Amino acid sequence: MLNTKNIYKPLKAKLTEVIEESPVIKTFVLIPEKEFSFGTGQFIELSVDGIGEAPFTPSSSPLVKDKLEVTVMKTGYVTEYMHDLKPGCHMGIRGPYGRGYPVESFYGKQVLILGGGCGLAPIRSLLYALEHIKDKLEKVILCYGSKTASDCIYKPLFSRLNSIDKFEAHRTVDKAEPGWDGSVGVVTTLLNKINVNLKNSIAVVCGPPVMMKFGTIRLLEMGYSDDQIYLSMEKNMSCGLGKCGHCMMGEFFVCKDGPVFTYNELKNTPDIWK
Amino acid sequence: MKLTAEDLKKIRFFDHYTDKQLETIASMSSIKDFQVKDIIFEQYDELSEVYVLLEGSLSLGISLAKEKRIHLGTIEEGQLFSWSAVFPPFISTAWVMAIKPARVIAVDAKKLNKEIEADCDFGFKTMSKIAQTISNRLSDTRFQLMNQMML
Repeated sequence: MLNTKNIYKPLKAKLTEVIEESPVIKTFVLIPEKEFSFGTGQFIELSVDGIGEAPFTPSSSPLVKDKLEVTVMKTGYVTEYMHDLKPGCHMGIRGPYGRGYPVESFYGKQVLILGGGCGLAPIRSLLYALEHIKDKLEKVILCYGSKTASDCIYKPLFSRLNSIDKFEAHRTVDKAEPGWDGSVGVVTTLLNKINVNLKNSIAVVCGPPVMMKFGTIRLLEMGYSDDQIYLSMEKNMSCGLGKCGHCMMGEFFVCKDGPVFTYNELKNTPDIWK
Repeated sequence: MKLTAEDLKKIRFFDHYTDKQLETIASMSSIKDFQVKDIIFEQYDELSEVYVLLEGSLSLGISLAKEKRIHLGTIEEGQLFSWSAVFPPFISTAWVMAIKPARVIAVDAKKLNKEIEADCDFGFKTMSKIAQTISNRLSDTRFQLMNQMML
């Protein structure tokens, strides 16, 4: 029998809240018309009727099925339109797509998370998932960098994480504004002060390409092996189906095989940080 | 305040040194405290001590003029700084200021250099740590540079 299911048809979702995270980043709180499940690290296509769609990794907990949060940075035509949306209107979601974080393989380990800029969005979803299984983990350390303190998203998240047993969170900014008394410098400087047991640790890196490159290099210098480092190749996500070909990276389709890869899988791919 | 080898054992930076080597480092080191806005050294100062930050937070930067300080980054707990004290001409390449009350280990650089020459194993370990510090700082600077170029 012919499969007539339209794989491009989005699920309708009502926008109930818009949270301004930074001058160019907003979080959209959506209530899908039916329950929506995703694995942490998997992504969705978020659409606006008549305008277009773009891929995003949800920033909310994968354990919550009736509400979805998506953090969007204003970077182009579709995202600019999304930023003007008000609560009450509807958006479309389709997915989830790709391979997320293999959370079960983190059991018994220390998880070091290196994030930059808007890369904290998928990381927040991962943090919710890790909080749920914290009894099975040794430790979770978040190191996050943003350009300035006002560019930092989810500001309350950091104090909350530091109050959770087994979790610690560190922040730095590239440029200090008046009133900032925390660390200054690129995110890799935070790695100088953390204490990890390399043999029993994995690292997760998500952020802008420059940050992912230097973050990965520093983790390798610290002694992490290629398969202990997980990279979320967000910028390569495209149609979600591996059909359009824009997500192709070497032998992989990021939409289907990723967006989460180990560095070992990608290290021989040309221009992985491009 | 005087230090002992036992004190140094608790600090990650001093991992891999033998007990005897830690005793040597302790004998040439002292603890120093700095208050907020204290300048530990200025850019172009002649340096006589190498430091490891134990507690607090320090700002590292460069100056275009004395009144125009450019803050480049924060020195984190456990990090070595003032490495220029070990290499001729012993002149600092940056300034360091306390931005939170800070406690540091100050190692006499002349005595340290003598020990580096006298004990090859000690010298190799110490130079490796200094090289790692400089390498990390260079890598971070490249990272900053690429961030700026991508803007």
